Amino acid sequence: MNGTTTGNDQREVIIIGIGEWSTGDSVMTSIGLGSCIGLVLHDETKKIGGLAHVMLPKSSGKPNERAGKYADTAVEVLIKELTLKGSKISNMKAKLAGGASMFQNFSGNLNIGERNAEALKAILKELSIPIVREDLGGTIGRTVTYFPKENGRLVIRQADGTTREI
Amino acid sequence: MVKNVVTDGDLVISEQQADELRELGNIGAAHAATTLSTILSTMIQIRVPEIILVNLANLRNYLDDVRAALTVFQIQGQISGEGYLILHIPEDSIIRLTNIMIGTTELNREIDDMDKSAINEIGNIMTSSFLDACATLLNIIMIPSPPSMVIDMPHAALESIIATQEIRENVDEVVLFRTELTCATHEIKANIILLPSRSLLQEIFARMENVIAISG
Repeated sequence: MNGTTTGNDQREVIIIGIGEWSTGDSVMTSIGLGSCIGLVLHDETKKIGGLAHVMLPKSSGKPNERAGKYADTAVEVLIKELTLKGSKISNMKAKLAGGASMFQNFSGNLNIGERNAEALKAILKELSIPIVREDLGGTIGRTVTYFPKENGRLVIRQADGTTREI
Repeated sequence: MVKNVVTDGDLVISEQQADELRELGNIGAAHAATTLSTILSTMIQIRVPEIILVNLANLRNYLDDVRAALTVFQIQGQISGEGYLILHIPEDSIIRLTNIMIGTTELNREIDDMDKSAINEIGNIMTSSFLDACATLLNIIMIPSPPSMVIDMPHAALESIIATQEIRENVDEVVLFRTELTCATHEIKANIILLPSRSLLQEIFARMENVIAISG
């Protein structure tokens, strides 16, 4: 990724698809989170952080799995990359958004959104990374945008156009 | 690279499999379009179905977060694996479509329960004809489940459905089979999206080959 922006220029936006992740100080966005969760780990002392688009609660442990796709491996890979960029785990704070249950009356509805949230919360608790803000559950889709250089704010937009910030 | 197939991952299908899928989709979509045409008493155009083999990470390139009605049906019957049929109606087409069904002309109004039940109904009728036609061709029974509808972001809705398949099959790629229907007279657009699981896709290929062998 080409990170040659300077000063407050934040035109570069990194788009994080399902199972992808990124770390650094660029603006990052994930569109259309349903049962998936946008996991942010933010380090305010370094003004950097990471965003992962988590789809499922647990990896199967097979090789070649996309790290950002599962709650356990997503937390692991964000911490690993942020540590390489100079962050300490003790300075990291988490924000979670997504985990909706969009279809109520489905036999295929396995409460994946809820299970994703539970998995992430358990893992973060284990690592003593505090979840400072969350916007989870409900029946709505969310598009999230994370601004590492602006106090790690996370803007959430719904399909009806309403936005809020956590 | 097989023609008319969008692929951006490692999953590849053969030219013959693409033809089989396209044939099946054409038949299904043509029946669904005829049904819609009868309801609206007007001409409906269908585009050549697109077969999209997409890596999950790139799903965002094919489905956006712009508000739309998504009516989802699980495919039930004698099939292995699972699959979904989804009717996608962009927001600006919803009211234009339901107005014709309800018999009003007011365009500047909110989507209400009446509209939602009209969309469910149209989804029921269209997906039933789509599946009927496919099932007859494949010589199996396929019926749609009761509808489940949301008016929300297409990416969020499909991602939620794919997650339920992923948790069982654990693959990084999905096949979307999309046909666009257009009604020029009333400026209405809709997409029918078939989302088969990996095992259903294999079954479709096997059965299509059978059909071709018999008719061959």
